[in-house]
Order: sequence, then structure tokens, then C-alpha cells
Amino acid sequence: MSLRTLTLTLSISIVIAGALAGTTSSLAQNKGGQIVYSTVAGPASLDPYMAGSLVELEIVHGIFETLVAMDENYNARPMLASKVETGDEAKTFTFTLRKGVKFSTGQEMTSADVLASFQRYAKVSTNASLLADVEKYETPDPYTFVVHLKSTNAVFVDLLKSSTYPLVVLPADQKDKPAREVEIIGTGPFKLGEWQKDSHLVLLRNDNYVPDETASGPDGFAGNKTVYVDSIRYMFIPEANARLAALQTKKVDAIADLTLDLAKRLDGNAELATLKTFPYCQQYFVLHATNGLTANPLIRQAIREVVNVDDIVAATGILSQRNPSLLYPASPYYAGEMATTFYDQKSPEKAKELLKQAGYNGEKLILQTNSNYPYMRDSILVLSEQLKEAGINADVQVIDWMSNSNNLQRGTGNWNVSTTSFCSPPLLGPQQWKSTIYTFPHIDKDPPMDAAFDSLFKSVDQQARKTAWFDIEKRVLDQSYLIKVTDTGSLRGYNTRVQGLKPYFYMRFWNTWLK
Amino acid sequence: MLRGVALRLLQAIPVVVIFAVLVFTLLHLLPGDPAVAIAGSEAAPEAIERIRQQLGLDRPLLEQLAAWFGRLAHGDFGTSLILNQSVLSAVVERLPVTLSLSFLSLTITVPTGIMLGVLAAYWRNSWLDSLVMVSALVGVSLPSFWLAILSVIFFSVTLGWFPPAGYTPISQGLWPWLSALIQPAVVLALFQIGFLARITRSAMLDVLDQDFIRTARAKGVDEWTTISKHAFRNTLIPVVTVSGIILSLLIGGSVVVEQVFALPGIGRLIVQGILARDYPLVQGTMLIFGFSFVAINILVDIIYMTVDPRVRFG
Repeated sequence: MSLRTLTLTLSISIVIAGALAGTTSSLAQNKGGQIVYSTVAGPASLDPYMAGSLVELEIVHGIFETLVAMDENYNARPMLASKVETGDEAKTFTFTLRKGVKFSTGQEMTSADVLASFQRYAKVSTNASLLADVEKYETPDPYTFVVHLKSTNAVFVDLLKSSTYPLVVLPADQKDKPAREVEIIGTGPFKLGEWQKDSHLVLLRNDNYVPDETASGPDGFAGNKTVYVDSIRYMFIPEANARLAALQTKKVDAIADLTLDLAKRLDGNAELATLKTFPYCQQYFVLHATNGLTANPLIRQAIREVVNVDDIVAATGILSQRNPSLLYPASPYYAGEMATTFYDQKSPEKAKELLKQAGYNGEKLILQTNSNYPYMRDSILVLSEQLKEAGINADVQVIDWMSNSNNLQRGTGNWNVSTTSFCSPPLLGPQQWKSTIYTFPHIDKDPPMDAAFDSLFKSVDQQARKTAWFDIEKRVLDQSYLIKVTDTGSLRGYNTRVQGLKPYFYMRFWNTWLK
Repeated sequence: MLRGVALRLLQAIPVVVIFAVLVFTLLHLLPGDPAVAIAGSEAAPEAIERIRQQLGLDRPLLEQLAAWFGRLAHGDFGTSLILNQSVLSAVVERLPVTLSLSFLSLTITVPTGIMLGVLAAYWRNSWLDSLVMVSALVGVSLPSFWLAILSVIFFSVTLGWFPPAGYTPISQGLWPWLSALIQPAVVLALFQIGFLARITRSAMLDVLDQDFIRTARAKGVDEWTTISKHAFRNTLIPVVTVSGIILSLLIGGSVVVEQVFALPGIGRLIVQGILARDYPLVQGTMLIFGFSFVAINILVDIIYMTVDPRVRFG
């Protein structure tokens, strides 16, 4: 090799090495700094067993961890447990705990902490019914925890992954703490710093955090999580314009609840971007199955037949995706093809036939909605016009969300049709749908559905569970207890100096860093 | 005077009691359930029922009212359902924010409103009068939440002069505190400035037509003294009355402005409480508001006596 060739080769190597070094450096996860994230409101309480709102849960899941958690596709995956074994016809569940996991205080987590947590959950949690069927617990050694149920529950582990009212592990000395008075000590990657209600809350990196080294990286709420930043500051800004202004003026690095309209203000700004998240929630028309006109299945089916999804979505202007099913395609229980037969029928003529069979005679059908969520109000207004086209005497009532929500859950307020979005059940799967399906349409008795749910919970064989869910979903849609409108997405805004953000139902700040 | 103040305080007791009963009744008449707000809109009925029992909401209404009055008699305003904190401490924590905002707004409102009113009256039927009155009308008519949003877009995003949201305590420096509050204070003041300017103009016009003003001018007293010493002083009774009302309105108006500018004050606390149907929080906060309004009215009565010695209580 001549000197010239050598020099050239070396020069090229240096240039390539330099370029690679530059690339590596630009992708490197920088340590330190603070990410400021603005949400609509702050948490009321950080007692995980009572946590039901999105912001509470985002914070709670940063501080605490569960035995089994949701993975990236919202399916169950062990987190504080390294292994879960199901036995005795799905009546016994043995959790082998990861060794060396520490609370933020530095104390090691053992099965005694898990036992105390389950006992406290059964006593104070809003979702205590989860453990109502427990016969007994066992802690044969510090790293094994066994739950014995009185009857078979094939989806018990799936229920444990629930991110709402999460059954996180707390130190054993918190066992007798009353609801919402627990000390905020968890095994998660963050720990609580300063918290000024209505103003801000700071999460600090938990230096005692022990990641799951067996995983290659983070996976939903589970996996191997790494915190690069020193802290996360949650800033509570209720007004959407002010929240966006805070992002534009770089007072915050990321914001929640951005609307499509407001997002247009970010156009042309290279430093700011949006984070679209699907799946997020699903919007439904809910039909009151035990009140007046809609107690008649033929009337409910007639309502389903008039629905024109595209018109509704165009009027609401929300971030949405068509999906006929009660679940998302990533779910092993997804039955999209079957659901298509009941989706977006836009057939006023068929509705008229059904109304005739039902003996409908122009009686008033009450559509109730609220003024707090414009997309709900607009959906109901469009539906009322679609119903009128089929000859239905639709009467729209607009009230406030609290009253609307209360009426939906309690069946009060003399309504026939309303609309709302469900977020957890579609994400978490069939086992989470049961309460929602019976509660919101106020189903009195439905023996075929009762039997299918029984089979879903009792079948150890997954194929049998899939069949059971297929029957349930078909029944819900056929009987028009719920009419699927659309999948709705979430839009967040962020400054591109925040790296590593990934779309997920909850905003996660592990494995994110500042450029 | 002391007897008069004591009398006014005694008269205030039934006002506050009736107010408390009204707040309790109206709030419980509202549809909606705090248990639903706490449990979440997707919660199962048994979860909601569990919370209702935990919070004592399943007890009869009269029993709840009696329990509330019993606690009030001991100075206990109750415990917020959503914050799990005593209402009084929640209010006390947020009081500095609302008071800072209200008083800053008042210090903008009173001199500006009075000055504009006096100028409009002095140059009545001139272009200046028309300008002031039209501006006052616009100020009174614009919804404060809309004005607040426009202000954020222009002064925070476009000009970058002030932070768009959030509060910095005065302990962290005068300028950070002022820069966080100046925008909401001005937005809050705009409505009241228009109101005060119109009242001042009207009162001033009445006084300027009086014989003693003509006499002062006939005696050759200079215009400044005539206006500031003779005319303005005699407009003070209605102006003081309105300023007292304005302070009450500013505290009340803070509900909207605190929400837009994300100021952690009492106004925002009330909005949260109402949205979540947090009965103890709304009842307690409204009652504290009620106390403040009564106190402001008594204070205004005392100022009357200072401004016009002819005024007596009783």
C-alpha cells in the first residue's frame, strides 16, 4: 500500500469514524435535566388503590409497580414477579418474586410486602371486589406469594394487570393506612418530590430503583426501565390555550390533551411536534335497555341502523380511526370481521322497517348529552338528525357532564340514548368489559350473555374464552346495548428536545432524555 | 361607632346562617354524585357505592346538614372529598394567590377607573368622553375568559413578555411574582374599570352641576382645586360603595381568570370542587366567601363614616 493510499484510507476511516461518533452522540441518551409536562389537572390523591384519573395513574405508575403489568400491547406481563404459575383449574396462582427489588427507601421487597398490599387492597380499594373471591394467601418464602381463589377464574392474572386502581406493592408497614393516607413509597423508577396541589408536582429519579435486567428494554409498564432525567415536573394548566402557549413559549416540554384545532398552531415550528396515540379510547352510543322506547330491542336496532359514522366523525373533528369492534386489533380476542355487520349501517330504510315491526308511533326518544365535551354533544346532534331522517321523534337534552355521567351510571334522568367513551375495557380486554356492558345500558337480564361471561371467566382453555368473548361481543352489538362510533386517539404536544417519547395510553418518562 | 360596628356584626349572623343553608341545599339539589367523580366515569356501581359509604354520602340529607352545622360550630369547615384535606387549610393555602391577584387588580382598577370617570365627566360630551365611555362599555361587555385567552396568545406567545400560566410566590422575587400576576390582574381589572368609570362619571356629573362648584369657580378657585378638593371628594360615597362591591367582584371573578392562567387560588379550588361535586369543599369555600363579603360590606360602612361624618349606623 502506497503512502498516498494509506493516507487516503486513514482519512476516510477518520471521517467515517467521526461521522459514526457524531451519530452515536446525537442518539446518546443524555443524563440529567428536568422535563416539564403540563396536564389539565393534578392528582387528588396518590393512594394507588384509589387512583382512577389519568393524571393520577400516570404519576402512580411512575412511582409504584405491580406484580403483573401491561406490556406495550396492553397484554399482561410479569413485572415485580419474575414468573406466574396457574394451577388447580385456575384457582391457585403462584407468583415468584424478582429478587433484590427495593423500595425507594432502600428496603428490599419481599412476599410479606405483597401479602400486606393485597390485604390493604381488599380493605380500602375502590376495586376491592377484585379480591372478593380469595380464599387465602400463602408466603412460603420471601420470594414466593400464592393466591388461592374459592372458584375458578381463568382471567385473574389479566385482571391483576389493570392500570386503574392498580394493585401495586407497598411496604408492609402501610397495611393499616386508611384510604388516601398511604405514604408514597414504591418500587418504581421515580419517587415523589415536591407536590403543591393545583400547581405542580415533581417526580425525582429513584436511585434505589432496581430494573428488570432479564428484559431487553421497557415494554409498556413492564420491562427494563431506565431513568435518564433527574426529575419530571408536572404542571397543572386547565385551559387548553394556556397549556399550548406554555409549550410554544418553552415554559413546558410536553403537554397533554391537545385538540386537532389547536395543534395547527404548531405547524411550521420545527422545535415542536405532536404525539398521536392509538389505541386510546372508544366512543359509543349507549342505549338504555330498561327505559321506555329503548327497552324494545327492535327500537334499539333501528337506532343502530341509522348511524352514519363518517358524518358524526366529520362533525366532531376529533382524532379518530374506524374500528367496528369493542377491542383493538392487537388483542388476541379481536373479532373485527363479525363486528362489521353491525357497524356504520347508514340505512334509514332498514330502520323504518324495524320501527314498523316495533309498532313505533312517533313517541319521543330522549337523547341526553353534555356541554363539557363538545365531541359528545356534536355526535348526539348529528345522531338526532339521522334519527329524524328515519322518522324518529328525537329530543336532545344537553346537561352538564357530571349529571350526564351520573345518569349514565345510575340509569336516572329518563334518557334513552347517550354517548360516552370507554378507555380501559377496550385496552385491557374482555375481562374488564363485564361491568361496563351491564352497567351503562342498564341490562336487567340477558341469559345468553350471562352464560357467555360465565364461560369467559371459567374456561381454562384460551380458545374457549375467545369463543365466549365472540358471543358476548356479538350479543352486545346485535342487541344494540352499545353502538360503536369510533376509536378516538389522544394528541399530545412536545418539544423535540425531549427524546425517546413513545405513544402509549399513559405518558411515560422512563427511557426519555433531553437532547 | 363601636356600637354601630357591633350591631352590623350581629346583623351579619343570620345572613351567614341563611347563606350557609342555601349553599348546602342548592349544592345537594344539583344532579351528580361526588362518588362518581372520585371513582371515575367507568367505575362499577359497587365501587361507587363503596365510596359513597366511605364518605358518608349515603346518610339522609338532613343528617348531613346537621353534621355540617355541628362541625361549623366548632370552627371545622369540613374535609374536602377530593383533596382529603381540611377545607380551611385548603383555602388558607390558596388565599395568598387570590388575595394577591384581587388586590393587584384593585390597585389597577380604582385609580384607572376613577381617573377615566373624572376625565369623562369634566370633558362631558367631548370626544374624550365618548372614547372613555365606549371603552368602558367594551370593557364591561367582553367575557373575561375570552380576553384572557387573547391576552395569553398576544402577550405571552407573540411578544413573550409574561409567562402564559402558573404562579410564583413573592418569596421567590418581586418580578417573578408580578410577571405571573400582571396579565391576569389586568384582564380581571378591565371589566371593573369600565364599571367604575361609568359610576364615577355619573357621580361627578351630579356634583359638577351643584351650586357649591359654581360658587367655588365664581370665587376664582383654580380648576384643579375645584375638581380635586370640592367635586371629587363629594363623589366619594358612591365610588367607595362601588369599590367595595368591586373588591367582592374581583374575588368572585378570579374563578375564571385563575382557571385560564392556572393560578392555584381559591377560584380554581371552587371550580374543581363544583366539577367534582365536592360538597364540603364548595360549601366551606362559599361560606368563607360569604364571610368575606359581609366583612367587606362592614368595612365599606366604616369608610362611609370616615368619608362623610354625617353617616351614622343604627
